[in-house]
This record gives sequence, structure tokens and C-alpha cells, in this order.
Amino acid sequence: MSGEKMLTTIIKKELLNNIFSFRFLFVFVLLVIIVTVTVLILTDDYLRRVDEYSLRQNDIENYMRRYAHFNRVNAVIAPSQPPLPFNSLIRKISPDDYVIENVFGEFNSDPLPIMFPLIDLTFIVTILLSLIALLFSYDSICGEKEDGTLKLMLSNKLSRARIILGKIIGGTLTLIIPFLLSLTIGLLIIQFNPRISWSEANWRAFGLILLGSILYFSFFYCLGVFISSRHRSSSSSIMTSLFVWVILILLIPNLSPYLASFLSPAPSKIKVERDIERITMDERDELMRKMWREKQAELYKLYSILDENKNLTQEEQKRKAAEDAAYRKAYQILSEQFKIIVSEANRIQQDKISGMRTELSRKEESQMLLSLGISMISPLADFTYLATDLSSTGLRNMIHFQRITGEWRRLFGDYSEKKRDAIEKENPAIDSWNVAVDMSDRPRFQYKEEALAGRFKWTLPSFAVLIVYNLIFFLTAFFSFIKYDVR
Amino acid sequence: MTWTIARKEIVSNLLSYKFFIVILLTAILIFTSFFIMHRDYKQRLTDYSLIKPKPIEPIAVIPPNPLSIFSKGLEELMTRSFEINVIQITARSGMKSGNLLFSYFPVPDFLYIVRVVLSLVALLFGFDQVSREKERGTLKLMLSNSLSRSKTLVGKWIGNYLSLSIPFLLITLLGIVFLNLDPDIHLSSAHMVRLALILFFSLIYIGFFLSLGILISTLTKRAAASIVILLFIWAILVFIIPNLGTLLARQMVDVPSVKALSEKRQQTWTKEVLLGEEDRRKGESSWDTRYKNIYSEMDKKEEDFRNKFNSLVKLSKNINRISPVASFVYAVTDIAGTGIGEESSLKMAVVSYRNSIFSDVISALRSRVKKEYPAFAYRHRPLSQIFAEGALFDTAWLVFFNILFFALSYFAFVKYDVR
Repeated sequence: MSGEKMLTTIIKKELLNNIFSFRFLFVFVLLVIIVTVTVLILTDDYLRRVDEYSLRQNDIENYMRRYAHFNRVNAVIAPSQPPLPFNSLIRKISPDDYVIENVFGEFNSDPLPIMFPLIDLTFIVTILLSLIALLFSYDSICGEKEDGTLKLMLSNKLSRARIILGKIIGGTLTLIIPFLLSLTIGLLIIQFNPRISWSEANWRAFGLILLGSILYFSFFYCLGVFISSRHRSSSSSIMTSLFVWVILILLIPNLSPYLASFLSPAPSKIKVERDIERITMDERDELMRKMWREKQAELYKLYSILDENKNLTQEEQKRKAAEDAAYRKAYQILSEQFKIIVSEANRIQQDKISGMRTELSRKEESQMLLSLGISMISPLADFTYLATDLSSTGLRNMIHFQRITGEWRRLFGDYSEKKRDAIEKENPAIDSWNVAVDMSDRPRFQYKEEALAGRFKWTLPSFAVLIVYNLIFFLTAFFSFIKYDVR
Repeated sequence: MTWTIARKEIVSNLLSYKFFIVILLTAILIFTSFFIMHRDYKQRLTDYSLIKPKPIEPIAVIPPNPLSIFSKGLEELMTRSFEINVIQITARSGMKSGNLLFSYFPVPDFLYIVRVVLSLVALLFGFDQVSREKERGTLKLMLSNSLSRSKTLVGKWIGNYLSLSIPFLLITLLGIVFLNLDPDIHLSSAHMVRLALILFFSLIYIGFFLSLGILISTLTKRAAASIVILLFIWAILVFIIPNLGTLLARQMVDVPSVKALSEKRQQTWTKEVLLGEEDRRKGESSWDTRYKNIYSEMDKKEEDFRNKFNSLVKLSKNINRISPVASFVYAVTDIAGTGIGEESSLKMAVVSYRNSIFSDVISALRSRVKKEYPAFAYRHRPLSQIFAEGALFDTAWLVFFNILFFALSYFAFVKYDVR
């Protein structure tokens, strides 16, 4: 028999051996059930959220038709993340939760996901498939030794390299089969739902996630084979495998943000935000009043006609400005100066807080990057990052969301300035902030997913770590099998 | 005779590789967890000392709960600073909110270690109890003596339970002693009682998984098959049921999302303020009615939300309780004072605090004169109330599961074919 043929024979043997085993059947049935139930529930949840989203958008439109005014409009039309079709498979974090927490400081909260986090495809791959991979591989070497078949195999003219290669390839293939089949059922459920349609980019992202999951469980398979080839008995091999599994899957990722927060602490956010609020509200008002008093005194000296102001209310001043031409000129200068002072006071305080904000976000960002780095030791974290980022439900989407809301805010800022100028031109006496305005021509926020290329580029480190892990453990498994004592 | 078997099990466990690995793992996990959660708690203590409100600030903040070291639960939500202003209660969250990765992975606290890892460990102690002895042939030998099957099983259970729970207890107690060395950690005797209860629940919980392991071991012919089945049952009980149950409950109870409520609030108050401005321009002041509208409408919406949310919580709890793991989590978080019940009771307290000082907040805003407010004080629910409001049921439910699975494994073993 030629070498290649030998290899395919071993792969075939591994495949058949596994497929007709009890554990394969059991794993297969359970995976199908779990994937189906998860997809069904997540799909329903997705549709429910789609309905709610459109209801909410409707409410906003209704509001804007009647009560749109510039002073408080930003709070009303704050951008919101629409549910994505991919959410029937993967859901991790959404910018909405973040915005509620940080911008509106919402009192009500949803504690349920904190008690029991959501389950999605990333859970199935990271927890279940890694367990399955170890369950299929922990006895691949020492089990055969215990059965005595390993001795028999090696007494033929069969190189050890071929055996181990065949085992790893055959084993990974057997894992792919139940995973792909159960996933296909899940995809069919999604695709047959008339309300969900995936774009081409969705499918491409899905393909990449699939690639990531194959890398993920082939790593665990290699790890299992490696551990198996280090042990004499399969009962101790399973213990070591589960030990390593717990450390890699259940410990390192969870510890990473805490470790990072000790190594690179961020200032107390509540304190910073309270300070910012004080600076932009009370302190600003005080500064404004002080500057305005000084300016007023100066102007009253220049324009004696304004002296009457002291006895007039704002409305009377406006009326007088409309009647008396000499007064109007001075009044206009006065109100222009007032505007300048307001914006000057705002600018001074904004400079102060923008320093604080950048400092805070710089520290938070460096902490986040550190915890990202630490957690990437764990393949679970690597896969979670690549799956969530590719499906726009992760960190990358948060950054993207912030960017596009920033762009939209600038657009809306320009729009509101123009619109207010036009209103004031029409009627100088009007308070353009607090009057209902027709804003049907406003630029609307439209969420668009980041292009797949950008998302993919961002996930390259995770892919790289998984590939390196695969190589390392493939090689270590290979060499420890070469040296394995088959007696 | 039972004790002889129990002793034999303990001795054979002590010398095994399995025991070594399991104890190593438990020790690593519990010590790391205590170390990390302790530092986390101290960070929150420093944070609290910075944000403690002055008398002129109408703000409700509670100090961090030392039991959150063991069961963090909703502590992060509860130690937010609730700032009362005319429009709403603004809740600011602490420093953990800046790093999004905290929301990626579950908190590695003691509860998590017991819930996820110790249950797995207990299964590892049980999975080959019967099938291994059968494979080796020692079961036949044992039963050929005048030894009843029930005594064998009880002996096995006790032996394995002790060889798991005693090292676990020792490690945990050692960790607690280390924690107590830190003068900043004030564990009062009331806290100690709660801690003892948490440990007690952990022991019941471990017992359940041991019985489950023995049961599956008697139902399967080979240890290799038993471990596959057990790991799947474990994943379903620990992760899948409680997590999917919550989502399932959401589909049955129509609760608006927090986001929807938040948007509604923005719409309500901005609308009323605009109408007030328009009235002012017309020369009539309608602020009082406007404000009244805002509060009555928002209070109604919030109450409606809270009612619906409470029924969602109730339903999801009941669905999740299919898995005893959920019961365990609910009981432990409630006892530690970081559970869902405690959080909602804190919220009620904050709302009534707001109502009590609200007129002062409004008049302070109008007159632009700073006022002094009474400090917000919150007492965690007493144990009696916690037990009455669900923990008692969870206890009974866990005990029931324990007995049920022990009985099942007993019957399975009595009928076991030892050949």
C-alpha cells in the first residue's frame, strides 16, 4: 500500500469508527436538538425585537410631527441600533444597552441577562463543541493502547506520522459532520422564515465564522490528542483534558477584565460624570452670569439708552426694540454680545470637560485593550471575538456605531443651525430653540453595518491566534505520539 | 458495613490522579476567585468613598456589599448612583461600565465556581462509580459477599461525597480566613450566617450532581458512555435551560424594553416642556400642570413597566427552575443580597426616597438655593423575608432534586445487572 493510500485508510477508519460509536450518535442528536431550539427561540426573539423597533421608530415619527423643537430634540431622536438578521444566530452586546446606561443614565434596568447570559451560536461552539472535541479525542491514543490495537497497528509497516495525521484529520472531520448538519437545520429554519432575509455579506460573514469554528474545534481535537499521547490510561487523560478545558474556557476569559482593571485602573466614572455635569451646568451658569454682568456694565456705559432695561422685562424689551429705532440698534448689539458670551462660556467649560472626557476614555480604552489581550490567551475568547465582530454584535460594532452616530450628529448639527438661522431671519424675536419646528426634512439616522472587509480585518488577530494554537498543538501532539511508548 | 465502603472509597479516591486534579483545580479556582473578587470589592469601596453624596446632593448610593465577593449577582447595578432630579432618577454606573469586556464573560465569583466547575467535578466523582467497578469485575466480588446493594450504594455516595466536600470546605474556609485578614472587609456575624447558608446550599448542590453522576453510571454499561451523557446533561442544566428559559419567558410576557421606556420618557418630558414654553409665550404659566403631567404619565408608565417586569421575572424564574441550577443561583444570590428580589426592593426604596424629597428638589430648582436632604438609607432584606419570598421554595426544590436523584440512582443500582 502506498503512503497516501494508507493515510486515507486511517482517516476512513477513524471516521467510521467514530460515526458508528454511541457517543457520536448521542452528540449528533443532542446537537441537532440544541441548535434547533436555540435558533427557534432566538429567531422569535429577533422578530419580536424587530416589531418593537418599528413601533418605537413610529412613536418617534409621531412625536416629531407635532412637538419637534431644537432645544431637546437630541434626546428624542437619539440613534438606536436596529436588530440585525444575524441576531437569530448570534447576539452578544448591543450599543443600545450601552447608550441607555451611559447617556440617559436609565434608572430601570434589565437584570435578567446578568443572572443568566444569553445563549447563541457562540455558546454552542465555544462550550459544547470544545467539550465534544475533547470527548472524542481524550482516548484516541491511550484508548487504543489500552485496547491493544495501537501495538497491532504499529507492527505493520505503518509510520507513526501517518497514524497521528490520519487520526487528527479523521477526528476533526467527524466533528465537522454533526456540527454542519445541525447548523444546516438551524439555517433552514432561519431561511424559511419569510421575514428574515440574509444579504450576501451575511453569508460571507457566516462562512468566515464557520471557518473560525472549524479552527476552534480542530485546536481542541489536537489538544485532546496531545493530552492523550501524554497519558498511559484514558481515565487520567480525561481528567487532565477537563482540567485544561476549565482553565482555558471557564477561567481565563472571565478573569481577564478584572486583571486588566487592576493593572490599568480607570478613574471612578461616576465621579467624573458628576464633575462634568457640575461644570456644564452650575459652574457654566455662574461663569456666564459673571461675564454677562461685566459686559452689561460696559455696554450700559456706551449706550445710555439701555439704562431703561433695568426696569423692563424681556418681552417689553423686545416690544420696545420693534418700536424704537435707536433702541433697536443698541438692543441688537446687546443681544449679540449676549450670544457671544453664552458661546464663550460654553466653550471654556467644554474645553475643561473635553480634557476630562478624553482622559477617562483613554484610560478606559487602554484597560479594554489590555483585557482584550489577556483574554485572547483563551481560544474561547478568540472565537467569541471573531464571531461577534463578524456578525456585528461585538466590540467592533460598538466602535462603528459610535462613528456613524458621530457622523449623523454632525449632519444634524449643521441642519439645525441652518434651520434655526432661517427661523430667526423670518422672525428675529422668536426663541428658535423652544418653538415647534417642522423637521420632516431632517437627516435621519440610518444604521448600516460596517463593510465585511473592515470587520474581517479587525478579527485577523483572533484568527491568527487560533491558527498558531492549531499549529503548536498539532506539532506537540505529533511529536509526543512519535515518542509514545505503546507497550 | 456502609462505613467500611465509605472509607474504602475515600482512601481509593485520595490516592487517585482524579482526586489530585480535582483538588488542584478547586484550589486554583477558589483562591483566584477570592483574590480577584476581593480586589474588585476594594475597588468599589474606594469608588464609594469618592461618590458618597454630600447633604446638598439628592443622591441615593448604597455601600458595596461584602458578600458580593462570593456572589456578585446584580451588585454592579445596585451600587450605581441614583441621582434624583426633576425629570427622572438618573442612574450612573460605576467604573466597570467603561470596559465592555466585563459584559462578555460571566463574573468569576464563588457562585460561578460552584455552579459551573464544582458541579462538573461532582459529576467526575460519580460518573464511573458503578460502571468502572463493573468493568474491573470488583462489583461482582463485592456483591458476592453478604453485602446489601443499598449499603453499597450509600457507602459509595457517602465516601465520594466526603472526599469531595471536605477538601472543598477546607479550601473555602481557608479562603474566607484569608479574606478576614484584610481589615477593610467587615464581615459581621449576620454576614457570616449568610455565608454559612451559602456554603450549605453549595453542599446540597454538589450532592445533587454526585447523585446524578451515580445514576447515569448505573444506567450505562461503560464509563466512556457515561461521561459523554453526563457532560451533556451538565451543559443543559447549567447553561442551556436557565439561559433559554429567560428568553422563552420574554416571548410569553409582553414587557417593553428598557430602551422603549427610556425613549417614551424623553418624549413625554420634552413635549410637556415645549407646551409649557408655548403657554409662557402666550403669557400664561402652566408649569405646575406640565410638571404634574410629566410625573403622572411617567410614574404610570414606570409602574406598568415594573409590574410587567415582575411578572416576567416570576415566569422566567419558574421556567428556569426546571433546572435545579437556577434554584441554586436564585437562592444564593438572594441570600447574599445581590439577587433580583433585592435589586427590585432597592429600586422601590429609591423611588420612595425620591417621592419623599421630591418637592424639595423642585423648590430648590426654582429658588436656585441649595437645600440639604436627608441621607438615603437602605437595609438589605432580612433573611426571614428572603426565605419567605422564594428562597424557601428554592431550598425545598434543591432538596427535592437531591432526594429524587438519590432515590433514582438507588433503584437503578438495585436492579443493576452486575455481569
